[in-house]
Amino acid sequence: MQHVKPGWWSIDSPGLGQQYWDTGWFALFFTFIFMAFIVVNIKRAQGSKELFIRRIPGLNAIDEAVGRATEMGKPILMVPGLSDPVNAIAVQAINICAYVTKTAAKFSNPILMCAYSASMYTLAQEVIRDVYQQEGVPERFDPDSVRFISDRQFAFAAGVSGIIHREQTAAAFFLGEFYAESLIFAETANSIGAIQVASSTEATQTPFFIAACDYVLIGDEFYAASAYLTREPVLVGSLIGQDWSKVFAITCILCGAVSQSMFSCSHARGVEAAVQASSGNADAKKKNLADLKESETHSFVFSKLFKTNDPPEDLKIDRQPNAAAAPAAATNAPGGSN
Amino acid sequence: MVFLLSKAPTQARKPIVWILTFVSGGVFVLFKYWPQPINFDKAKNLPNGPIESVGSLLNDLTSVFGTISQVLTAFMLGLGIFSILRIHGTRIAKQQKDWFFSVVLLVTMFSMVVFGYWDFHIRAANRTIDYDNAANWGFVNMGRDFLFEGLLQQMDAAMFSIIAFFILSAAYRAFRARSVEATIMLGTALLVIISLMGAVASGWDSAVDRIATGSNHDLLVNLKISEIANWITKTLQTPAITGIKFGIGLGTLSMALRIWLGLERGGK
Repeated sequence: MQHVKPGWWSIDSPGLGQQYWDTGWFALFFTFIFMAFIVVNIKRAQGSKELFIRRIPGLNAIDEAVGRATEMGKPILMVPGLSDPVNAIAVQAINICAYVTKTAAKFSNPILMCAYSASMYTLAQEVIRDVYQQEGVPERFDPDSVRFISDRQFAFAAGVSGIIHREQTAAAFFLGEFYAESLIFAETANSIGAIQVASSTEATQTPFFIAACDYVLIGDEFYAASAYLTREPVLVGSLIGQDWSKVFAITCILCGAVSQSMFSCSHARGVEAAVQASSGNADAKKKNLADLKESETHSFVFSKLFKTNDPPEDLKIDRQPNAAAAPAAATNAPGGSN
Repeated sequence: MVFLLSKAPTQARKPIVWILTFVSGGVFVLFKYWPQPINFDKAKNLPNGPIESVGSLLNDLTSVFGTISQVLTAFMLGLGIFSILRIHGTRIAKQQKDWFFSVVLLVTMFSMVVFGYWDFHIRAANRTIDYDNAANWGFVNMGRDFLFEGLLQQMDAAMFSIIAFFILSAAYRAFRARSVEATIMLGTALLVIISLMGAVASGWDSAVDRIATGSNHDLLVNLKISEIANWITKTLQTPAITGIKFGIGLGTLSMALRIWLGLERGGK
């Protein structure tokens, strides 16, 4: 068992160094840099500088889909994913749905929104009501247009599929977190000829949407949607910040590849030297290879900056006993005195 | 807290909500970044100095905020049930199309709630009885088992099974060689599919082995179907998926940051 004495705030302290940020600290710094890029670019965009965003066909198709639904006089279906509870993905999905609703409200087109969780239902209903009020047509908001279906995955899938068939929706938007039910939605909507715009933050579901839907937002295009549609400085700035972060990440990946290649070459040379030095003696070879392995644990590799080493399972840290909590624990223990 | 928020002036509500979001989000951010004491049992030991004390405090605070979040979600569940009752109640009252299915939905929903709670109450009141043994079940336990295991789970499984047919129809449409991209995808998919067909893959690999051994060209070994499929999945597919995931991660971080700092104005 390894014993470590209490340490103070110093990276050299055995207590702190071994317990906490011995390795992997750069990953935390990395996240800070991303945050800084995003915040700096939000400030840049607020300075009224026109920033470029490339064309995203899936988002251009929103107006086309709403227009088609209006011509056909049929409702638009929106499913903001299976997030439970509401998270950043759900908020983004609802933001896009709000834009769709805004367009639909202008043409008095009916909408249907199916919520997977009760918290999503509550949030969506408030946002959709707000959109109708902003458009100056609060009387067109139908409270039943936002529905809580079920918080069980396949009950939700069955409910939404039923709605697609019964209401014969002309356009369907599937945006957010989707899992195995994604193809049930997409194929059902496809079977009735609805125009579909979809996006899943689950990379495993994106191929299903690509196979079955008309337009798909892949990966971070989903998050670019709000910025693309509204051109708000805050959103555009954070999108540019994400692009800066990607460039930084690519640089790190290249550094990692070079560093790993150099390490592999040095390792191969080390193994060769260890084998030659042992002159055919099996014990000497084993010892030389063990020494090489030990020396390599101290050599620098770029990936070590990102990988956190777990502390040893038997690491024992000397601490004062908790005198105040001990009697309470004894009292609460089964069979303890009352 | 909710009561106070409802009594606050309209202009003050947004700043209050933002402060609450910032504080609760800040606790989780700090919890992630602050060094956490390892092998630490609060009931037995005192933390070593301020670093561990703050780490332990943050650990406690995250569970407090987690509980608050669960309580709020429970309130919202009531609103969700109200939505179901309103939509299906109206359909039954007005005898709209397919109103009978609404009756089925409401009856099953209430049955599940009643039997679920009743069963839970019986199990909690008789802890000495082994309810894992079906011989000890009464009418209520059987009712709950029939509704949950006998109906709901089976219907879930049936819905999941339907996906197989949808995959077939979607794959048929996607793999038609209508464009260069679709043709490349079709070819790649075929290679991966063949590599998973045991007999065909084994025959292909053996044939390549024989040719490679006979001609003394080791490079030919790379033409084994298992090697090709492995190269496709590891060299093409995995980096592409990782890239997509990385983009999604960055987007989520950016969105979370905007929400946390109060810069996100949802639905505008």
